[in-house]
Amino acid sequence: MAATPHTVDELTQSAPRARWFATIVNFIRQRPLGAIGATIILVMIAAAITAGFIAPYDPLATDYGAMIAAPSRAHWLGTDAFGRDVLSRILYGSRTALEVGFGAAILGATFGSLIGVGSAYFAGRIDLIVQRVMDVFFAFPVIILALTVVAVLGTGAGNVILAIATPMVPRCARVVRSSALSVREMPYVDAARACGFGHSRIILRHMLPNVMAPILIMATAFLGEAILLEASLSFIGLGVQEPTAAWGLMLRGAAVEFAETAPWMAIFPGLAISLAVFGFNLFGDSLRDALDPRLRTQ
Amino acid sequence: MKRFARLLALAASSLLALTAYGQTPRYGGELVFPVPSEPPSYDGHREETFGLIHPIAPFYNTLLRVDPFDRTGTKPAPSLAESWTESKDGKTYTFKLHKGVKFHDGSEMTSKDVKASYDKIIFPPPGVGSTRKGQYADVEKVEAPDPYTVVFHLKHPSASFIASMLSPYNFIYKADILAKDPHWYETHIMGTGPFTFVEHVKGSYVLGKKNPNYWDKGKPYLDGFRAVFMRDSAAQVAAVRGERAQIQFRGFTPKDRDNIKAALGDKITVQESPWDCILYVSINHKKKPFDDPRVRRALTLALDRYEGSKALSQIAIVKEVAGVQVPGTPFATPPEELAKLAGYWHDAEKSRAEAKRLLREADVPDGFSFTFKNRGIPMPYEPLGVWLIDQWRKVGLNVKQEVVEAAAYFGVLRKGDFETAMDFQCGYIVEPDLDMYRFTSASRNPANYGAYEDPVLDALYDKQSQATNVEERKRLVREFEKRALDEQAHVLMTLQWHRIIPHSSKLHGWTITPSHYLNNTLDTVWLSQ
Amino acid sequence: MGIYILKRLAAMVPTLLGVAVLIFVLLRVIPGDVVEARYLTQGSQFQSQELMDQERHKLGLDQSLWKQFTTWMAGLARLDFGLSMWTGSPITEEIKLRFALSLQLAVMASLLAQVLAIPLGILAAVKQDSWIDYAVRVFSIAGLATPSFWLGILMILTMLIVFHWVPPMVFTPFWVNPWENLAQLIWPALAVGYRYSAVGTRMMRSAMLEVLREDYIRTARAKGLWLKLILTRHALKNAVLPVLTVMSLEFAFLLGGLVVTEQVFNLNGLGMLFVEAISHRDYTLTQALVMLVATFFLFVNFFVDIAYAWIDPRIRYR
Repeated sequence: MAATPHTVDELTQSAPRARWFATIVNFIRQRPLGAIGATIILVMIAAAITAGFIAPYDPLATDYGAMIAAPSRAHWLGTDAFGRDVLSRILYGSRTALEVGFGAAILGATFGSLIGVGSAYFAGRIDLIVQRVMDVFFAFPVIILALTVVAVLGTGAGNVILAIATPMVPRCARVVRSSALSVREMPYVDAARACGFGHSRIILRHMLPNVMAPILIMATAFLGEAILLEASLSFIGLGVQEPTAAWGLMLRGAAVEFAETAPWMAIFPGLAISLAVFGFNLFGDSLRDALDPRLRTQ
Repeated sequence: MKRFARLLALAASSLLALTAYGQTPRYGGELVFPVPSEPPSYDGHREETFGLIHPIAPFYNTLLRVDPFDRTGTKPAPSLAESWTESKDGKTYTFKLHKGVKFHDGSEMTSKDVKASYDKIIFPPPGVGSTRKGQYADVEKVEAPDPYTVVFHLKHPSASFIASMLSPYNFIYKADILAKDPHWYETHIMGTGPFTFVEHVKGSYVLGKKNPNYWDKGKPYLDGFRAVFMRDSAAQVAAVRGERAQIQFRGFTPKDRDNIKAALGDKITVQESPWDCILYVSINHKKKPFDDPRVRRALTLALDRYEGSKALSQIAIVKEVAGVQVPGTPFATPPEELAKLAGYWHDAEKSRAEAKRLLREADVPDGFSFTFKNRGIPMPYEPLGVWLIDQWRKVGLNVKQEVVEAAAYFGVLRKGDFETAMDFQCGYIVEPDLDMYRFTSASRNPANYGAYEDPVLDALYDKQSQATNVEERKRLVREFEKRALDEQAHVLMTLQWHRIIPHSSKLHGWTITPSHYLNNTLDTVWLSQ
Repeated sequence: MGIYILKRLAAMVPTLLGVAVLIFVLLRVIPGDVVEARYLTQGSQFQSQELMDQERHKLGLDQSLWKQFTTWMAGLARLDFGLSMWTGSPITEEIKLRFALSLQLAVMASLLAQVLAIPLGILAAVKQDSWIDYAVRVFSIAGLATPSFWLGILMILTMLIVFHWVPPMVFTPFWVNPWENLAQLIWPALAVGYRYSAVGTRMMRSAMLEVLREDYIRTARAKGLWLKLILTRHALKNAVLPVLTVMSLEFAFLLGGLVVTEQVFNLNGLGMLFVEAISHRDYTLTQALVMLVATFFLFVNFFVDIAYAWIDPRIRYR
């Protein structure tokens, strides 16, 4: 091993970079479903960013003169039980959804992959202990984790992110660990170790980039899941709280009662959830097809 | 002579049932009703939830009860006691018991059992829980001079004593059982009521069947009842609408009522009443600037209760604009009097202008921000929370809502960890003593989360509590109300709850009252073909 | 094989102990306890500290945490779950019927999911990148994207508004009255099963794609064996295993995780019991439930592992 540290770094980083570029191009060309998914996501992000400009009303402004009004010129998607504009609340709701979605996915994937890679790297007793702890979290009912987080810390977007991300950590860690185990045996990791690099440097700069594919796949899957979970939690009252605009919240209470006579209150937010999750899954699915080394078209 | 009196009473009560509905009660049938929560234990003396009353009350009797056909839910009527007298000094009450009342195990119910039950409620032995001990603090002792007489001795006259004897929780238990094991009734059921206990399938239902030896001859009419536990309100509505259940005794939302009525038409009868429950805002007097009565007054002045009533009564179980007593009941403040209190003026603009002026005067800047804690229960906490925040926004207050999980909620309030918070007052009977106790000073009332001390208010409470003259008491109640809600604005009332019961038109002999704790013995209820 | 099984069983013990410690600690970190839940929540006029202290003493909540934990462990060792703090009844009695409901629902939903997932997954893989593949994928992703509570609300409302019919209100065990039982459970099984079939379909598709690309299958193809035979004889065997693994783990999740679905369909299952137990701060019941679900999960895992080891003997020595 005559390689200098400089070249080892390059070795491990330049190769994936080239691969990345190729896959992105391939992806757009070969995966129409994935492209549709990506479009949905982009539209949603655009809506979230520009909600302040394009929303026709203040999402919190009540209007007792126009309660439960049907879709019309003034209110394209109608109003809810407080006379609040449904369209505006859906637009602002995309902020909440993305905030919670990205927050939880990034949090879950980051901690999960660090634990996974670390566990694989250190191996031996540390690996064993980490695996046991992960087993405990695996066997632990997800709903209890969510309930306790909310009961201890209270409701609100930040805590919802935490509640959703917690059960994601062990799942991500398990997948990433198994990929990292094989990376660990790669010559360049040995080389890096021989050069006397610190643990954190080897983990972060040599191993992590090489297990990026499964991490990305997990993270996109988490995104859709997180949005759905946020909606479910808000629906049962454990998530984001009124008067914040959030999709799951819009489906709660009055929306169900009024489903017969004022279906717009429930249909549009429901569609927004489905469409968003659909988009993330479509994209994630194609991403997996494209990135998973075992599945790459030969 | 006694026998004659009893017959007369019987005739009178059945006549009442007859004239009220113009039909002869029909025997038979099973009443099915959803109950939104399951009873924690079976001991009424210990629990404090309608989840116990609805499925369990039909197995028991109380000494007195509220007249099952009185819509105000305040009129005392005989039950196990067929009559009662009050001594001249107002300190001794003597109850004459019905003879020949049998427990479900066949033994006779006598004054010994009544005394044992009330001793358990008022003077619980060590290790036995009684939530209503505080309510009977006035009672010195209970005596049973002969098998059919029970005497209550009070420390001083009490205007609300008879009302407190109407509590639907004070089941009469068997003395021998209580002597052996005071906790027996937590996990078992054995009373004198019109129905006998068949089974309780956990997480599913409670089943009762007709007591053929019921002491009130001719009753009950039903063959039995099935109380089905259903948490979700949409499912309860679907059950009534799908005609799988005849009634739900707690209450539905206005929209649920409209949906059911639209779907079933004449097959549904709707009964409505103001509800003896109200959400009010506790204001923490220990936190600045809420120690300033001007700020508190501004908070209540900001609310347009009349507009709120019109709007919210379409989407939530609230309606009447009210003070400390349920509108339409004996001690309620007349609407025109009420309209003089801060926050109850009909001119909302003037009221808001005054609120802004007071805030300026108290040096509260425009856009001042504070938090409002709300309890994690959808109806009606959520809509009222949205409404309050919106109203405060209109006088330039920027309020952030923080929702706390339902079970942890009052623990948070007790610690004083809030600026403003939703609080809840709900009673089984409309009675100033019971409804207003929560607003007395913190030193005597642990449920005063706002942590204020107001000796003037306390003195008014005590005075009205011992006032034997009705007009005098009314005046004092109103003075209390003015001080608590207007001058000091210690707390801030939202809107009175509104109880809506759409039930099958086949169901008869049941009258709505302002309390979902009352009138659930089911002895007068019958089903037509 | 026998030693492997024993080793796997022994490995469950520390995990279960970890779960026990975790839930025990979590419950005590949550603000409030069963006594507050009972006496403070009803908006009662008269509160008494004395009464609350008394109740705490009766329930043993005033004992040291260590004492509480060891008492619980000693009970567990004897398989005695104790009494519910909220109702005072034996926990086994509280759980019995709800467990039956949740188990049946989980079984029905999983069966339904597999019946859908396996053929659809195979079809999509064999016809990769054709419109059939796209249709299957869109169908399955739509399943993932539709909140099952939303689907449930739609189903209930349709039945109510169009057919003027609602499912029975009370759970009847299958052996008592199969018709009533199915009339209640088939709807949630459909709503949940659809969602889980989506997970399975996607898994099946990718597992199948992977197998189809392996050399021996290509060889078989080249030799001209017809596709159907290849699928059944070679590919299916290797592709179904991971799918069954994922689905059985999902099955374990279904047992206690269907809170929202249970709420929408008015089912008194374990999921709602979890929510109730936590909201009552019923420590003993929550602890028992968590241990039950965790044990169930570990056993499902265990059987999957055993199955693998049985099929592939190399695993045993890893």
